[in-house]
Amino acid sequence: MSRAYLRFWGVRGSYSAPFDTHLGVGGNTSCVEIRVDDHILLCDAGTGIIPFGNELMRQAAKQPAVKDLLIILTHYHWDHICGLPFFVPAFIPNWNLTFFGPGHSRRDIEEHVSAQMRAPYFPVGTETWLANVRYLDPPKNQKLDWGPISFSYSSVHHPGTTYGYRINVNGKTVLYISDNECLFLDKTIRQKYGEFTAEEQALLSDMQKEEYEAEIKLIEGADILIHDAQYSLEDYRTKRGWGHSCYIDTVNTAIDAGVKQLYLYHHDPNYDDQVIAKIFEHCQTIIKERNSSLECHIAREGMIVDLS
Amino acid sequence: MGNKQAIIVVVDDSPAMKTVFERGTENLGVDLRLFQSADESWDYLEHHQPALLFLNIKMPGRDGLTFLKDLRELPLHKDTRVVMISSKDYAQDRTVASSLGALEFITKPTPIRTITDVIQKYLKVDPA
Repeated sequence: MSRAYLRFWGVRGSYSAPFDTHLGVGGNTSCVEIRVDDHILLCDAGTGIIPFGNELMRQAAKQPAVKDLLIILTHYHWDHICGLPFFVPAFIPNWNLTFFGPGHSRRDIEEHVSAQMRAPYFPVGTETWLANVRYLDPPKNQKLDWGPISFSYSSVHHPGTTYGYRINVNGKTVLYISDNECLFLDKTIRQKYGEFTAEEQALLSDMQKEEYEAEIKLIEGADILIHDAQYSLEDYRTKRGWGHSCYIDTVNTAIDAGVKQLYLYHHDPNYDDQVIAKIFEHCQTIIKERNSSLECHIAREGMIVDLS
Repeated sequence: MGNKQAIIVVVDDSPAMKTVFERGTENLGVDLRLFQSADESWDYLEHHQPALLFLNIKMPGRDGLTFLKDLRELPLHKDTRVVMISSKDYAQDRTVASSLGALEFITKPTPIRTITDVIQKYLKVDPA
């Protein structure tokens, strides 16, 4: 059996939250490391990639280190890429960085990754990266391998093309879905139901069922689900259509899909440790009331999950 | 009768939307061709330009926006008339669709009448 784990380097959504009231959960934006022996897969490159890169440099200074990384991006909103300009290994020769994310070609992906490092937004561009950098063309079957890690991807409900990743590692299935507005169509239909004819209303019910089944299919079979849980119910009422889930929808859908472990992720930067603790308590109540065996966690910066 | 040549292609994985399109076109006399994914439609679209192409965005396989970018690289589809139809009622999706030359962005849930109206608007077809 391989030595394998995942580590949360950044768990916030939208923007970083380096406030002392927030640091129990963590202030960096999206970044999760999945490591199997000498292979590293990194999910997203928010500000969490900065301390991750610094840790890699420390390891490399002491011993032969893994210098070959695959970075998979869910999308190109700033909170998912803004750590890259400060990711030290990119600026060091003999490191190998491979990128994958939404795009219709590797050139498209390179363009999206590079755009944030152009003047006047940043003093140097990706042409100053000294690492060997390459970008992967999207495969026709939406499946890729990275040594002992294999993964597939599909589009999720968030502004612009955004991927959720299904990652197979060491016989376990890890789902990384950082940004996804659960059951969006269902809520729209509930809002507009009265505007439709009787014939159409029957079709709307079918659409709600189809969307629900698609949400279940997206996450079923997950040993570990890392999923958007950005908003409280109160905030979701005013932020519906921003592309993020209310944590109640996340936990209920995870229960329905038979997920084993759920990590609530992409925390709202306005929520301090106390607010997130209350969200966790409510999730536990939901799980108990539904008599579910779902194991629910708050994703916290520095948390390590054993995948051995 | 004169509308038989007008081919409408729909790429959408939703069986319910299939019914909406069938109902919305039943009196227009158009030739409706439905595909459940981008890949499933590719063999046809690689060689045929429909009069109007409806594309869903979030679906299994290639999403509709990535697929539209792929299609626009084919000379055959440089000017194909495209209407996006999606539950993704987000400004970013609308902007990207517009930049790729989509004529309209229709949100789900969609009344049957909207499908009829859009087809009539762009094809200038009258009910049979």
